Amino acid sequence: MMHDFTLRVAGESGEGVITVGETVARIAAREGLQLVTFRTFPAEIKGGACMMQLRLSEQKITYHGEKVDCLVALNQVALDENFPVLKEQGVLLCEAECDVPDDGLSATVYKVPFERIAVREIGSRISKNIVVLGVLAELLGIPKPRIEEFLAEKFAKKSEAILDHNMQALEKGICFARENFSKREGFGFPRGKPERHLLMTGNEAIALGSAAAGVKCFFGYPITPASEIMEWLAVHLPKLGGKVLQTEDEISAICAVAGASWAGEKSMTATSGPGVSLMSEALGLLSIAEIPAGIVDSQRGGPSTGLPTKTEQSDLMLAIHGSHGDAPRVVIAPTSVSECITMMGAAFYFAEKYQIPVIVLVDQALSARVETVNPRAVEEIPQSSRLRAQAPAEGNFARYKLANSPVSPAAIPGTDGCEHMVTGMEHDEFGNFACDDETHTAMTVKRFRKLEEIENDPLTQNLCETIGEGRADIGVVTWGSSAGPVEEAIQEARRLGISVRGLVPKILNPLPHAQMKKFFSEVSRVIVPELNFTGQLASQLRATYRVPTISLTKIKGVPLEPSEIVAKIIEAADGLQQRSARRYGRAG
Amino acid sequence: MEEQDKFCDYLSGVNPVWCPGCGYYGILGALVEAFVDLNLPSKELALISGIGCASRLPYFVKAYGFHSIHGRALPIAQGVKVANPNLTVVAVGGDGDGLAIGGGHFPHAARNNADLTYILFNNAIYGMTKGQFSPTTTLLSSTKTSPFGLTGDALNPSALAIVYGASFVARGFSVKKEQLKDLIMQGIRHPGFAFIEILSSCSSFNTTDMNVAHLLKAIDTVPADHDPEDPVAALRLAGNESKIHLGVLRRSPRPSLEDRFQEIQKKAQRGKSEGIENLVRQFA
Repeated sequence: MMHDFTLRVAGESGEGVITVGETVARIAAREGLQLVTFRTFPAEIKGGACMMQLRLSEQKITYHGEKVDCLVALNQVALDENFPVLKEQGVLLCEAECDVPDDGLSATVYKVPFERIAVREIGSRISKNIVVLGVLAELLGIPKPRIEEFLAEKFAKKSEAILDHNMQALEKGICFARENFSKREGFGFPRGKPERHLLMTGNEAIALGSAAAGVKCFFGYPITPASEIMEWLAVHLPKLGGKVLQTEDEISAICAVAGASWAGEKSMTATSGPGVSLMSEALGLLSIAEIPAGIVDSQRGGPSTGLPTKTEQSDLMLAIHGSHGDAPRVVIAPTSVSECITMMGAAFYFAEKYQIPVIVLVDQALSARVETVNPRAVEEIPQSSRLRAQAPAEGNFARYKLANSPVSPAAIPGTDGCEHMVTGMEHDEFGNFACDDETHTAMTVKRFRKLEEIENDPLTQNLCETIGEGRADIGVVTWGSSAGPVEEAIQEARRLGISVRGLVPKILNPLPHAQMKKFFSEVSRVIVPELNFTGQLASQLRATYRVPTISLTKIKGVPLEPSEIVAKIIEAADGLQQRSARRYGRAG
Repeated sequence: MEEQDKFCDYLSGVNPVWCPGCGYYGILGALVEAFVDLNLPSKELALISGIGCASRLPYFVKAYGFHSIHGRALPIAQGVKVANPNLTVVAVGGDGDGLAIGGGHFPHAARNNADLTYILFNNAIYGMTKGQFSPTTTLLSSTKTSPFGLTGDALNPSALAIVYGASFVARGFSVKKEQLKDLIMQGIRHPGFAFIEILSSCSSFNTTDMNVAHLLKAIDTVPADHDPEDPVAALRLAGNESKIHLGVLRRSPRPSLEDRFQEIQKKAQRGKSEGIENLVRQFA
């Protein structure tokens, strides 16, 4: 058995590629394996090429893998397009009529007449993918009862005939493989731990995490790639006594969040870059009126409508600065599906505790990818609530009291004796408009001091991951979903003998300064890989810490690959060696 | 005297910033009198506004007030009501706030029928920015941004509310305070989205469209035999160009947003409320 196994299933949309991938993924998770997946979506609603890749491992993994151990190609186009990712000693499973490229690879090829078996022996063309599943089960050693169990669940609501067709197809696939192929030694599923994992997408994790964090009101407007968050909550939040309202646009959504949160409920919205652009005025309102709010931005290629179905990390500047005026907000960025759950907890922890809007930055790749999640992630969600005011003994309630703490006790409508104004205008302690320079200065300082407090909050100390310790030649700093490939790249570079470390801040505003500064003092060169054109995190690091950075940017609509990062690390390490060689040369 | 005490209990102590002679003083008076007569506790009153002269109103009333951003009073008011249905939510704003920049929210607030009252102060001008034309300016031959004449025709707020499906639509006039108070009370009592258009002059920038003397001649009360359940009759009255009808133009109660959320939760829970543990199970 292998420790780590990568499978890619490719075909035409409608051929059942995703069902094959999902079935293998679900069973692997139930068998206690860790897994990360990646899939592409055709731009069309129907038809078009599609693929799903799964990487299974005994250990924690954060990336879906670059080359695959096993490729399943359901047609010639899928085979031609995906063949280059097959490993040297890999296994190709393809439709019998396909021509396999002869490029000297020592891949094992299994040809199966999937379509003929489905049509002639089952009488159902759409069962083709289940025949594929049967062959895979036999080759990979997936226990048949596990698949039957899953299919029974999946087709529970369909007719008995459909389930029966599928069970037959599974059996035919298994038999075909058993009769025609000999199983390759050491090939197949890794062995899992006796612990069942949960399996979900990033968007499902965000929705589940929000519900677990105590969100009661969700307002949103549909947009790719964030819609599934609202769709999941629309089904499940009412079960917990919550409410979901689809509004007429994103401006309405964020304003309703402001109203609902002011009225006392944990409230949120989820959108993509175009939505955040529309929301930016209201983000300033939340900031100046000191109202907690959760805003999820699942980034896609921009600007404008950009690349609606492709991934990018190009909204960082928008998230940190997008509003007129000085408008502090918190920005956090989960790096995995598990963290999508816990970071929603962190988002509402900061939002409620500091009465501030919190933007959670994910991206299309993280939103859509299916990954194993520890069932305990939901219990590990940090909790906090808003500091509540008591009615003043006399006089009016001072909602924005200037005191030692920048966080003033809040009163929600309905509270006796605390009637007050909140406003988007600059205001005095009582919420009455006041545009004099002293008030504006004092209140701006009050609002920005929250960021200092957040930087020192115990939770913030856990929101920065370091890879490796001590001094190193190269330091790699990255954020969000790029953390997975960076982690793999660092491991690979170390195998090549390069002295390299990594740092992944999961809170990007405020940055965890203590940990960042320490890291910069310990590495000689800093590489910043991220999925945008201008190097947005790199700019932020240069402006904040005045460190020179080497940007590695990519805007191809897909995640970074570890090999791309390794190449950059090697380049930087070589440059460093040449520099020190020159220096010693001069000294000599 | 006791009546006056009650009135003063609803005042915040912040003095209105409106110009001398502004019609909005009369509206503020009618609104507070309506609160007095309805005996609404100020702690359960949420007054939401956007930006503009009318939107300053929440500062002057003792209540929970939210002075927000231009055009967004309705989405915020809806959010407040969704979060806490026990509050009496009143959104206020001007014709520019509600029909220009915020015009996209109006049909949806009407359609969703959240139980809130939206009071639109119609003075047919941008007062706070000092005299540019608004979506309801009709007669002014020139404004600061239309020096050689208007570039478009006026909107009719009450007619829009009717076609948008507001379940209560009324029109009042700032100088007709008793009637106005009564309309506001009816609007607040109405279990759904209540829209009240209030004609009011802008003493500084528009006494042409909203000329009190002319308006007093042009107004008429809604005929006693008008059936507010009939949308076509309501629209005919609202759109009448020779007479300005004051009173309740449309009243047609239907399930509110709060009713629908209750229904949705009932359907989703199917008699048993669930915990987060149950939701986790679907991913196993």
